[in-house]
Amino acid sequence: MRKYDLVVIGAGPAGMTAAIYGVRANLKVLMLEKLAPGGQMINTNEIENYPGAGKVNGSELALQMFEHAQELGVEFDYKTVTKIESIEDSKRIYTEEDDEVIEALTIIVATGTRPRTLNIPGEEEFKGSAISWCAICDGAKYRDKDVVVIGGGNSAVDEGTYLATIAKSLTIITDLELTADPVSCDYLRSLPNVNVFPYKRVVEFVGKGGEFTGIKFVDKETGENEQVIECDGVFEYIGAIPYTDFLEKTTILGSGGFLEVNERMETTIPGVFGAGDCNSKHLRQVVTATADGAIAAQEASAYIKALRRKEV
Amino acid sequence: MLKELVKEEFTQDIAKGAVLVDFYSSTCSPCKMLAFILKDIEKTLGDQVTIIKVNFEENPDLIEEHKVEGYPTLVMFKDGEELSRKSGLQQKPVIIKMIEEAL
Repeated sequence: MRKYDLVVIGAGPAGMTAAIYGVRANLKVLMLEKLAPGGQMINTNEIENYPGAGKVNGSELALQMFEHAQELGVEFDYKTVTKIESIEDSKRIYTEEDDEVIEALTIIVATGTRPRTLNIPGEEEFKGSAISWCAICDGAKYRDKDVVVIGGGNSAVDEGTYLATIAKSLTIITDLELTADPVSCDYLRSLPNVNVFPYKRVVEFVGKGGEFTGIKFVDKETGENEQVIECDGVFEYIGAIPYTDFLEKTTILGSGGFLEVNERMETTIPGVFGAGDCNSKHLRQVVTATADGAIAAQEASAYIKALRRKEV
Repeated sequence: MLKELVKEEFTQDIAKGAVLVDFYSSTCSPCKMLAFILKDIEKTLGDQVTIIKVNFEENPDLIEEHKVEGYPTLVMFKDGEELSRKSGLQQKPVIIKMIEEAL
């Protein structure tokens, strides 16, 4: 059985920072990731608010963080965690790929989030074809076409700004106003091919003969004033669901499946910490994720020191 | 083997054996992370599969011919026939399974 001081689940900015701080605290660290290092950074074309980095491509920043972690001696493995167990002072980690059980003194859960969906008529039928959650991946096929973005937060505004450079027209439908940082919102609104519909609720993805034709929406408050916008594709950015399914049988999840932690990133299971977007928190940014990761790793180190003192 | 597309050789390249084609864009973040995973896979399976990277913007004819709609898109060929296809960034074990099914 492989044994570690710290196993970090997830290699986004929170996980990679936790791993870096972990090895720098002399811990033997394993970082597990089911997809690729970077987390949500991978789907971000340009990050402009990570101090010192200027304007940087998401994957480039991810690779820099990953190389930093590797240079310091963090072990890395592609694994999807299915269950964790806490047995006295030890933790066990089970994965989807094989029967191996990994043992650790501490775990930092930094699994991030996945996009929330609307669950309205037509979504199932057109997802993956006309409905996407990644402008960088699928935006190219909408050159000179009409596109709708649903949502008004940071992701919607960032990805909408990117799509507006490709599409003939971009319509944004959001149930509030645009809520990203004001500079980005003002810039998006100023683009000549962008039209924003605030305080609306999308009720259906419309098609004809199996072909996607547009979306139907109503006034958010009254449910009236039904309108249909014809378009070629839709991108949904309406929030996130945490990747915490494997923790459902534990007691550390709060509302919406997010991890409940204190200011030290401690969960209610001693030795298990949470960091980054999967935590219940207000602001989800690369910089807040890295801060969480640093705190969680420092606390994991302190927890292990206390364990070792107990053993003496 | 992992190599960038040489247009004149593409048809010949995919005609024999297991060939994984990565349709990518140089500006796409998920494509960059997929390249990172493919490099890793090449270390262990590089003697059994040829991985060819095809730039989306520079090869519109190939994109149209193979009906590639977004990037990254992975298409697995065996002896010239398309066996499987995956769109978007994929997990390393999923890509390995695609390759193993073509061996």
